[in-house]
Amino acid sequence: MPRKVLGDDPFAATLPAKKPAKKPAEKPAKKPLGATTKKSAKKPLGAAQTAVAPPATVDAPPPPPPEPVAPAAPVEARPRLDEILGVLDGDASLRARVLEALGAAEPEPRPAPEAAEPEALAPTSEAADDGAMMASEFYRQHWGRIAMRDRSEATDDFGLDPAYEARWRPAWEFLYDRWWRVEVEGIHHIPSEGPAALVANHGGAVPFDGVMLSTAVRREHPAQRQLRWLAEDFVFHMPFAGAFVNRIGAVRACQENAERLIRQGNLVALFPEGVKGIGKLYKDRYKLQRFGRGGHIKLAIRTRSPIIPVTIVGNEDTHPMLAGSDRLAKLLGMPYVPITPTFPLLGPLGLLPLPAKWRIIFGEPIAVAHLPAEAADDELLVGRLNEKLRATIQDTLDRALRERVSVFKG
Amino acid sequence: MSEAKQDPPSSVVKAAPPRRTIALTGADAFLGRNLIGLLEDDDRIGRIVALDVKNPSTAGRKTRFYKVDLTQPTVDARLAEILAAEGVDTLLHMAFLASPTHAGAWAHELESVGTMHVLNACRERPVRKLILWSQTLLYGASPSNPNFLTERHPLRANSESRFLRDKVQVEEAVARFAKQTPGTVVTTLRLAPILGPTVHNYLTRYLGRRVVPRLMGFDPLMQFLHEVDALAAFSRAIHRDAPGVFNVVGEGVLPLSTVIRLAGRSTVPIPHPVAAAVNSVLWSAQLSEAPPTFLDYLRWICVADGDKARHELQFHPSFTTREAVVDFAGAQSLRDARLLRPAESL
Repeated sequence: MPRKVLGDDPFAATLPAKKPAKKPAEKPAKKPLGATTKKSAKKPLGAAQTAVAPPATVDAPPPPPPEPVAPAAPVEARPRLDEILGVLDGDASLRARVLEALGAAEPEPRPAPEAAEPEALAPTSEAADDGAMMASEFYRQHWGRIAMRDRSEATDDFGLDPAYEARWRPAWEFLYDRWWRVEVEGIHHIPSEGPAALVANHGGAVPFDGVMLSTAVRREHPAQRQLRWLAEDFVFHMPFAGAFVNRIGAVRACQENAERLIRQGNLVALFPEGVKGIGKLYKDRYKLQRFGRGGHIKLAIRTRSPIIPVTIVGNEDTHPMLAGSDRLAKLLGMPYVPITPTFPLLGPLGLLPLPAKWRIIFGEPIAVAHLPAEAADDELLVGRLNEKLRATIQDTLDRALRERVSVFKG
Repeated sequence: MSEAKQDPPSSVVKAAPPRRTIALTGADAFLGRNLIGLLEDDDRIGRIVALDVKNPSTAGRKTRFYKVDLTQPTVDARLAEILAAEGVDTLLHMAFLASPTHAGAWAHELESVGTMHVLNACRERPVRKLILWSQTLLYGASPSNPNFLTERHPLRANSESRFLRDKVQVEEAVARFAKQTPGTVVTTLRLAPILGPTVHNYLTRYLGRRVVPRLMGFDPLMQFLHEVDALAAFSRAIHRDAPGVFNVVGEGVLPLSTVIRLAGRSTVPIPHPVAAAVNSVLWSAQLSEAPPTFLDYLRWICVADGDKARHELQFHPSFTTREAVVDFAGAQSLRDARLLRPAESL
């Protein structure tokens, strides 16, 4: 019964389209009636509407309303196994495999696909309709997976959940457009395809530069590329924060992860300053810290991908950190605990970032593809390249800061 | 290697019968039992020697059963005798527990000491190939793990867990054995946690709960291997000489919360400082599937990289992580409705 109702929907939906070709008057009146008999037990109200509507008033408007109503009936009636199989959507081979594994004990699921196809009508278009219906967002939301509405079916290899991330986008867009009014320069330096390592300065006690950088690349770059950024270890040690940043696209910073991301052709943002960058005091803002041990340079040499220096102005003004509490940090197992004019004072609210004006400058790519892979082991060369990269970003930072008139107005 | 692969199809199998003899320890456990069922139908296998304390139900006309208890002190001599008498070509060592147990001392005898006996038997009467069942759990869950652990990564499983420590010792012993006996092809398969419609282990019990507990604020990425793929990997290793260690994993990862939802369960988040205490009480009362050391796996990532097995073993899993969960969930929902027998009675 429930399956039949489900099968009726595309049937009913295609029918009005056929109406002008055949007997114009009778068919539409007949079909809803047929539907009435089938649904009568479940939905007397909706059925009554369907039956009354066509003859009553103007042709077009009445028929559509009942149709969206009808699909609501099968939601609770569908058996659980089908919910689970619904996951497999149109993939017939997969479905067959799963059914086969269960087949011995459960003969029921097999007829399911056939049962969904109603009496007559052109079989080919019917099948196509069926496929389209199964693929529709509406179907997925209502029957595809009852419990999975707000999540994608899977994350990617590194834990990014596209549906979850999409839900957070409005927040990032607000921060990007309104709060920080981000200005972007030199976006053309980012290749339209292929991997690249974006190396940027890092700042803000609660760093937003990763997510802003990815928003910038997605919105401003013609290819709307997705950027993955590497986040410090300690974030992944924390409850909630670790899972959250992972689902929205951050990856734990380590050589293996960076290399795998690059080899898969991703744009990867690296913040070589690491914890020292985001833990810096307000008086040290925009003074680049040590650039790690040059792991990012070695990575670029080994994978022959370009390094794009990125300068971010504004991120280091969002949380003016007056002091760090070492004792509290040790107690909480954190690398630093910021003390800002607002933070412990106003509670968690005090961690809201200040609306400084941001400017993101993508610099000229530094090509390392001409270097042999062994160069990655040449510590002197790596150190020199690293120093050059750091100087490039520091120079751009200094220039941009000189051009800046006000922290908040830019 | 490619020649070896092309051998079996037609001429060789029918003309000369180099049909091999395979011996399995732990033949009556899930993997052993099903593997025997598969090998019974495999023309390239001449004889199957089942070694366990109980005759597996899948044993057919090819299978010869020997009652062997690896916890007995003189078992190595007996094993060597059997290996010689049957002319065993390949030995699959799979006598390990799939789930943590309260009988820790016995488990230690069976796994760690039992492996010593098996290896000694192989030293006394060499086999051509030794295949070991191991697990990716042994890498240990840790916040400092890369998202994909390769075979080069050290085994850093929590040494407080006897279950894991014994298995790490086994791997070390087998690695030493491989170094000492270059004439034997030693293949170690590190399997991701196995899920599927018929397998029964601590994981299926955990996901089979009506309300599945997890740790508040933590949602690690999980990776599973479908039971069919687990068997396929062993079959690969039997027919293909690939010495070394291989991660055998399903493709793709899923956050734990999604796994629980896919399994059709509701979840209750428990703060992690409380969880360890509660779980240790539940574990001592035998109400929990795993001891508190396993909470690490609900908190941190432990996902392995299956590239090496794909390239060198030509192992291509036919189920992804998600499909394995869905397949398990399908069977589980039938069990919930009492339409399917519980997996432990299959």
